[in-house]
Parts: sequence; C-alpha cells; structure tokens
Amino acid sequence: MAKRVQDTKPARKKEALQWIKENIAEQKKRYAAIVKEQDELAPQREKWVQEFLQIIQTRGFNVSGDMKRIIKPSEIAKKPKGKHQVVF
Amino acid sequence: MARPHIEPYVELDHPFKKFDLTGFKGSHYKVLSLDNDTGACTLKVRFDGGFRRKPGLSYSDAEIFVLNGQIKVGKQVWTEGHYAFIPAGMAVGAIEVPQGAEVLLMFNDSEPSFVESDQHHRLALTDAFSSVNSYEDRPWGPGNLVSPSVASGCMIKVLHYDVITEALSFLYCMTPQFAQDNISYHDSAEESYHIWGTSWMMQFGELPTGGYFWRPPYINHGSFRCKYGTIAFGRTDSVLFNYFHFNPWTNPDENKLRAAANLYRKRPMLYNWVNSDGHNHPHGPPDFENPDYHNDTQVRLLHDRPVGGHVGKKRRK
Repeated sequence: MAKRVQDTKPARKKEALQWIKENIAEQKKRYAAIVKEQDELAPQREKWVQEFLQIIQTRGFNVSGDMKRIIKPSEIAKKPKGKHQVVF
Repeated sequence: MARPHIEPYVELDHPFKKFDLTGFKGSHYKVLSLDNDTGACTLKVRFDGGFRRKPGLSYSDAEIFVLNGQIKVGKQVWTEGHYAFIPAGMAVGAIEVPQGAEVLLMFNDSEPSFVESDQHHRLALTDAFSSVNSYEDRPWGPGNLVSPSVASGCMIKVLHYDVITEALSFLYCMTPQFAQDNISYHDSAEESYHIWGTSWMMQFGELPTGGYFWRPPYINHGSFRCKYGTIAFGRTDSVLFNYFHFNPWTNPDENKLRAAANLYRKRPMLYNWVNSDGHNHPHGPPDFENPDYHNDTQVRLLHDRPVGGHVGKKRRK
C-alpha cells in the first residue's frame, strides 16, 4: 500500500491531547443540550408531523424533484409506541 | 466518522475560545463538530486583525471557507466566499490577516496540526489542491445533480469532489418559499453551516443564520421549508444519494435496511456476491484501479486501523 502523509504524522503532543480531551468534554455537553432541546420540541413536532401527513395526502409527496404523488390513507404508517427520537 | 449527531447547533449563541495550538496562536475558535477518535473537526475560526503565520503544512487534508474578511495566503488574497481544499502535507504560503476574518476550517483526518515549512511533504498529493471564490467563480446549478433529486428552488455549486469516495463540498441555496414534502436520509454523513438565512425541517425546527449540523448517515430529515431564502456551505463524506420516503417514525436501522433493499433491487448480482461466503473480504475487496483505497481514512476507521495519531481501537458499538 502506498504510504500517505497522514501515516507519517508524529505522535500527538501534550497540547493536542489536552485540546482534544477538553473539546470532547464540551461536545458531550452540547450534545446533551441538543437532545434536551429536541425532546422539549416533541409536542410541536407532533403537530408538524400531522400537517405533513395531511399535505402528502392532498398536495402530494415529492417523489423526485417536483414530481409528486398523492399518498393514499392506507399507505400512511401507523405511529409506533414510544418516543419519536430524532437525534441519534 | 465518529462524530456525534450535532443538530441543530447555533454557534452564534456561543463564545469563541483562544486557539492555543501551534500554528493558530493569536486566533480564536469554536468547535462545530469533532471526531472523538481521530480529532478530525469542523471549526469556526476568527483571525483578529494583525494575525500572521509563517508558511507551513498540516498532516491532515484541510478545507477552508471564508465567511467574511480578507486573508492573504502566499501571493493570493482570499475574500468572502473563498473555498480551498489543501491536501495533507502541502505547504501553503505565509498567512496575513490585516483587518480580521472569520472562516470555517475543517480538518478531515486528524486534529488541527501545523508544521512550519516552505517545502511540501515528500508524499503530499499537491494536485488535489483547489482554490476558488465560490461566490464569483462558480455558477449555480440545479439540485438534480443526483437522482432522486431535491425540488426545484434548491441550487448547488460544487466546490470539491473526491473521485474515489464521491464526497462533496458545496455551496447551496434555497429560494424564498422553497418547499419539499418528503423525508430524506443518506448513506453519507452530511454537514451544513448556514451562512445566511433560516430553513426549517420537520424533525428539528428552524435552523437560522449561524446554524450548523453534522448528521451521521441514515437519519431522517425533512420535510423542508425556507420562507425568505438561505445560503449555506455543505459537505458529505461519501456519495450523496437521496432516499426519500414519507414515514415520519423510522429509525436509522430501519432506514439502513431499506437502503440495503434498494441496493439488492438495483444490483442483485453484486449484492449476492458481496454477501456470499468467501467474498466478504474483511478490508474491502481489491480494486485494480484504486489499489490503495484501503488506506482512505474512512476505510481505516471502518476497520479500527490507526488514523491521524489515533492508535486504533475497537470502535464503540
């Protein structure tokens, strides 16, 4: 296999290790804040979902580009039990 | 890439921090997303007036997009809208920022690194370098670059295309009153930063100016709305394929299965061959045209091999 520049990278110095550690910790906090914020949005999201399901049964669903298809009520999936998770 | 799902994140609400790594001292940064394993990251960086740096190189492929201000890089002057892809090991000229600038700065393989040098690394793939003002030197194209495609009103300027992985870096815009009534997901991770404007997605709500996301593969997003128009910088880490559907409640595992079914229908012989005993090569099948693709960062990550100073370990399940 051809060797690449990336393979010649020296071991991380202390300052880089510290930078990564510090920023991973902060990113974990940011992620937790996003999850909380998105969980709080759940009641509003439920309304948006209902509007979306209505729109695709009336104005249509974008199959590709501007090509649309009206979705039949029988094609609408049944809402599963449990939390509607959007951040993974 | 092991970056968590960061969506939505509005960086304007958060302060800059002093950037104390070699090569960046005197500037300030915010992390938009960071790969916990490799240190690869997307940053917003502020260079205050008077910032200077000597010529040098990084051990990572890097991309930069100038949000505002002017940066002198060697003999070039990069202004608002300038985009550059700088391959690992390529020495770029001295940097001077006379009056301040803000950029998006992306390191694709490892954490930010800088070595002072006016010579390229002997292994640098300098032909991959590109430097263009995206606002002035690239035309808008329709979003039907891929099919199934986005609705008209979403346009794109391709800034960088990786011929091996088909990863894209691009500028995109949504016209006022843009609407697209479907739910989408991709095989690739997708990243976006709103330079200006607010758009809306059914899952996450509004993403305003300064809004950012890093979204891992197979995560639902959409339907889509944009009331007054948006211009944004985006990237994928591999080929962009739009899987559209209208079930609001599917999860990434279900989406992945649907993607596999799509592959099975379109390339049944290939699917069967890859899936059969003896052909499921642990590090990917050989490719006579690209024999070294096993060394690509993403492939290395898939197989827990060292990347960017990370020693390699079993990835979290």
